[in-house]
Amino acid sequence: MRLLLAFRVFFRILFDRQTSEQVRRLVQEGPPAEKPEERPQPAQAPAPAAPSRPPRSEALTLLAALQREARLLDFVMEPLDGFSDAEVGAAARDVHRDCGKVLQRWFAVEAISDQEEGSEVELRSGFDAACYRLVGNVSGEPPYRGRLMHHGWKATRCETPTWTGDESAARVISPIEVEVS
Amino acid sequence: MAAKYVIGIDLGTTNCVAAYAPLEAEQPKTELLPIPQLVAPNTIEARRSLPSFVYLAEEHEAGGALDAPWAQDRDYAVGELARLRGAEKPDRTVGAAKSWLAHSRVDRREPILPWNAPHDVRKISPVVASQRYLEHLAAAWNARFPDAPLEEQRVVLTAPASFDAAARELTREAAASAGLPSDLILLEEPQAAVYAWVSSEGDRWRRRVKVGDTLLVCDVGGGTTDLTLVGVAEQAGELQLQRLAVGNHLLVGGDNMDLALAHYVAELFGKKNVKLDPWQSVALWHSCRAAKESLLANDGPEKQSISVLGRGSKLIGGTVSVEVDRASVVKLIIDGFLPSCSMDDSPARRRASGFMEIGLPYESDTAITRHLAAFLRMHGDPQEGPVAPTQILFNGGAFKSDVLRDRLLQVLRGWSGKKKGAQVLEGEQDLDYAVARGAAYYGWAKEHGGVRIRGGTARSYYVGIETSGLAVPGAPRPLRALCVAPIGMEEGSETDVPSGDIGLVVGEAAQFRFFSSPVRKQDKPGDVLSSWSEEELTETDSVEAILPADEAIDEPYVPVRFHTKITELGVFELWCFSPQTGGRWKLEFSVRDRDEP
Repeated sequence: MRLLLAFRVFFRILFDRQTSEQVRRLVQEGPPAEKPEERPQPAQAPAPAAPSRPPRSEALTLLAALQREARLLDFVMEPLDGFSDAEVGAAARDVHRDCGKVLQRWFAVEAISDQEEGSEVELRSGFDAACYRLVGNVSGEPPYRGRLMHHGWKATRCETPTWTGDESAARVISPIEVEVS
Repeated sequence: MAAKYVIGIDLGTTNCVAAYAPLEAEQPKTELLPIPQLVAPNTIEARRSLPSFVYLAEEHEAGGALDAPWAQDRDYAVGELARLRGAEKPDRTVGAAKSWLAHSRVDRREPILPWNAPHDVRKISPVVASQRYLEHLAAAWNARFPDAPLEEQRVVLTAPASFDAAARELTREAAASAGLPSDLILLEEPQAAVYAWVSSEGDRWRRRVKVGDTLLVCDVGGGTTDLTLVGVAEQAGELQLQRLAVGNHLLVGGDNMDLALAHYVAELFGKKNVKLDPWQSVALWHSCRAAKESLLANDGPEKQSISVLGRGSKLIGGTVSVEVDRASVVKLIIDGFLPSCSMDDSPARRRASGFMEIGLPYESDTAITRHLAAFLRMHGDPQEGPVAPTQILFNGGAFKSDVLRDRLLQVLRGWSGKKKGAQVLEGEQDLDYAVARGAAYYGWAKEHGGVRIRGGTARSYYVGIETSGLAVPGAPRPLRALCVAPIGMEEGSETDVPSGDIGLVVGEAAQFRFFSSPVRKQDKPGDVLSSWSEEELTETDSVEAILPADEAIDEPYVPVRFHTKITELGVFELWCFSPQTGGRWKLEFSVRDRDEP
């Protein structure tokens, strides 16, 4: 269910200022696979767009794709009260599958470490600090010994679509659908 | 400017792919060309394949939202967006243009697609639709390699092995209009799949096969199935590959399987009193396509739920789902598409009705195994019986399923009796991209030397000659077929056709009915057939030439004979020449509506 965690974090970053700051600090020295984007802050006064800036944030383009191909936004925005786990599960399977397709296509996400979670690891001096988060009792100089708790994720590519629309359409994540009779 | 790259283009019925390699590479390592395309209005994403669909937009949709990086104010879209719209608005979406190219009952240069579309849709011709896909690929190439424009590169374009000379000519015409180079090479798709295998195996391929082996290339694409046999022979101590036979263009493929599954699941919904509206049916098709892969994998789950999500923003509340069990789905697909059958079975024939719809001739029998049995029988030896392939090379997305691969192999082995049954050809089999990669490799190998599949023309060709004689009211004059090119006529060769003189009227279009056969291996140029069965000889587009009035000719008609040429690029040319005056006229395919006899 790491994918679900990833989504949760994604939305917290997108909509929660505090989390986004925390994550930003966390990844400041992190691998530059995915550039931190200028996030739109609808509640704040939007900064006037610099002429070179693309008319739409790539984060919104990603969100639009997750909604278009996987209905993620519909899923997350719908209150779960009153639905049984089975009902939520039936819809979640499809959303889960299709979200995974989008993320794999754009980022080709892979585990950073190929070691089993729970296995012993040793970090020699000069290890790539950006790829590791050391928790617990860290003191002194490497080598460090420990247990691998999470194998990490990395984007092995970052191919985001180009958005060609104008300013007025940039905030539309999913258009209104009307069936003309 | 000299070509720097070799580009292989798979112009598929449902997907197009382009692969390339530097022409000067010592060992070609082919790369796939990323193809930027609209996936939603205003959104351009690079994908590895371009769905072969054209969406003819309504006026309010144009105006910028359908622009490509290289084209403004588009009122149509090609690729993923068009494929998605195809499900919502079939009246405005052109698909399967390639199958229409081979359909000689319609004029392929007339705007006829989407077939049966309402009058307010600006239709396009099958040739133009194919041109649009190739234009898109060319633009994607030129945007990525501005210093090496496509028209200056070595380009290999693949076409179905079953395409006859007229369909190949139309493919060339679409390619030329799309700005592909004029020295374009056309390659048969199953051969390209074999080249992809050869290139991935390197020198090892010689150890994987031996003299006397017969490879069956079984290509089940989205909408079509193509069968080809390739033999392994020896010449001067070297292994040689030889294309032995090609099957007909069968209009049944993976999409039929998705649809069959969707119908089955819709029935399950029906039993739960859930009636699906058209929008839900489209969504169900999508879900079934996704579920098929896991249901038809050997380690697939025994039961799986298939859901159709709610349409509005109330997703969970509107979701309906049913549970399907794997065994029933496997049985449904196998009974429908790969049933066990005997070597003597034939595909069920379409029942003739008074009113034949002129649309695409979809197979009335979806059993690929029965088509395969008929194919192996037709190309068998009178003494030794049907062909017994020793290896099989799979191609096409449908064969990602182990269940389908195993099943086909099992049926094939069942036919071989006590003899050792067919094996899967060892080595990498890249089901989605092999054809484009193999085409690029072939272009490279043509330059650098490397194994070549021999074979020449896949069909023999015939000109229909009406015999003279007393006219009988109401009865057509008896027709004979004069063989003008044999099966296996090599590229870069030409031949005079021995025959009596045929009188052509001067100053008028002389038109001949034209036939081809993938099976009559015994016929030589000059042979005249007075009777044949419908299975052996199929009529294709007629050929015609206009003989200009010539001062050297006093007579109202001029006696001519035929001369056939296969160019180095594989273009079939039929000429008529006058031994008396030395005049030569090229016969052109006339792809206009054929008068039904």
